[in-house]
Amino acid sequence: MGKSKENLLILLQEAQNKSGYLSQELMVELAKSLNVSLSDVYGVATFYSFLSAKPQARNVIRICKSVPCYLKNSQMIIETVGNKIGIKPGETTPDDKFSFQLTNCIGACDKAPAMMINHEVYGDLNPNKIAKILKSYL
Amino acid sequence: MDKIIVTINGTKVSGSEGMTILDAARENGIDIPTLCYRLELSPIGACRICVVEVESSRTLVGSCHTPITQGMVIHTHSPKVIETRKAIVELLLASHPDSCLVCDKANLCELRMIAADLEVGLPRFRLQKNYYPIEDVSPYIVRDLSKCVLCRRCVRACSEIAEQNVFGIAYRGFDSKVVVDFDQPIDQNVCQDCNVCIPFCPTGALSKPGRIGKEKEGKPLIITG
Repeated sequence: MGKSKENLLILLQEAQNKSGYLSQELMVELAKSLNVSLSDVYGVATFYSFLSAKPQARNVIRICKSVPCYLKNSQMIIETVGNKIGIKPGETTPDDKFSFQLTNCIGACDKAPAMMINHEVYGDLNPNKIAKILKSYL
Repeated sequence: MDKIIVTINGTKVSGSEGMTILDAARENGIDIPTLCYRLELSPIGACRICVVEVESSRTLVGSCHTPITQGMVIHTHSPKVIETRKAIVELLLASHPDSCLVCDKANLCELRMIAADLEVGLPRFRLQKNYYPIEDVSPYIVRDLSKCVLCRRCVRACSEIAEQNVFGIAYRGFDSKVVVDFDQPIDQNVCQDCNVCIPFCPTGALSKPGRIGKEKEGKPLIITG
């Protein structure tokens, strides 16, 4: 991979896939090697909801917070998942099983309200369905 | 080089290639308000206050960064433009703290000046405001990011004039914030006493330390309308 700063996003994505999150050491190194400022690297890393500057649990639950899902009552999905695993968006369960995040559109508007667990998309959600899905990850 | 002829508010004026709508308007004595634009910095069209109407354009365009083209018909103060500009200022004020009374910059604040000029009146929008702790650990600069309007003038001044790249924009949407490194309070390790960015701040977000007890500069700005 070239060392020009246009590659910043791709390199961040690679690192995210490899280690599950972007450590500060990694961002410092990346900033140095691409000759961009640390704040710019951190800016890109925090802009995208699929990049994470904090360590993540084994399973990452992402619920869409965009408008189509909102209109299909994504609030109910967010509450149901929160109650089931006992944490709020942005948090990780103490047993490191689930991280819970809100994300921008995941391209599943036709199946709104939708969520992703790791790389799997689940649509047309309701509380019963969520209970079943979550069980399969326990 | 060929002259570019454009029509601004019904008058034909000529400009040269590479000029923006704002350049052409100002050259002909037409005042378009700006906030994130500064002559010394690259135009980025972040604040949208300088929007104008261009006939056959679907949307209003930012005049500070849109180059003039042959035959362009521009309206800088049409009812649609004024209404949009007012709404933009109102939205900026909606997420700005109501602390002008105790803000040292209040009488010199560019946001307040524009609001007073446009007579935006009393607040229409009630938004949850983002409050951040004041960063005053550095002996050279105090940052009060609650007052930041995200114009990015400090970001550009630091990188383009001071050539330091201390600031960056992190997070997204309502959470967007001008950050230093990993969103740390600005201290003397990352920022020396160059004082380039502080005068560029349109609001009271950036200031020099130690003004307590001093009289406010400037005359009070009254927002009517």
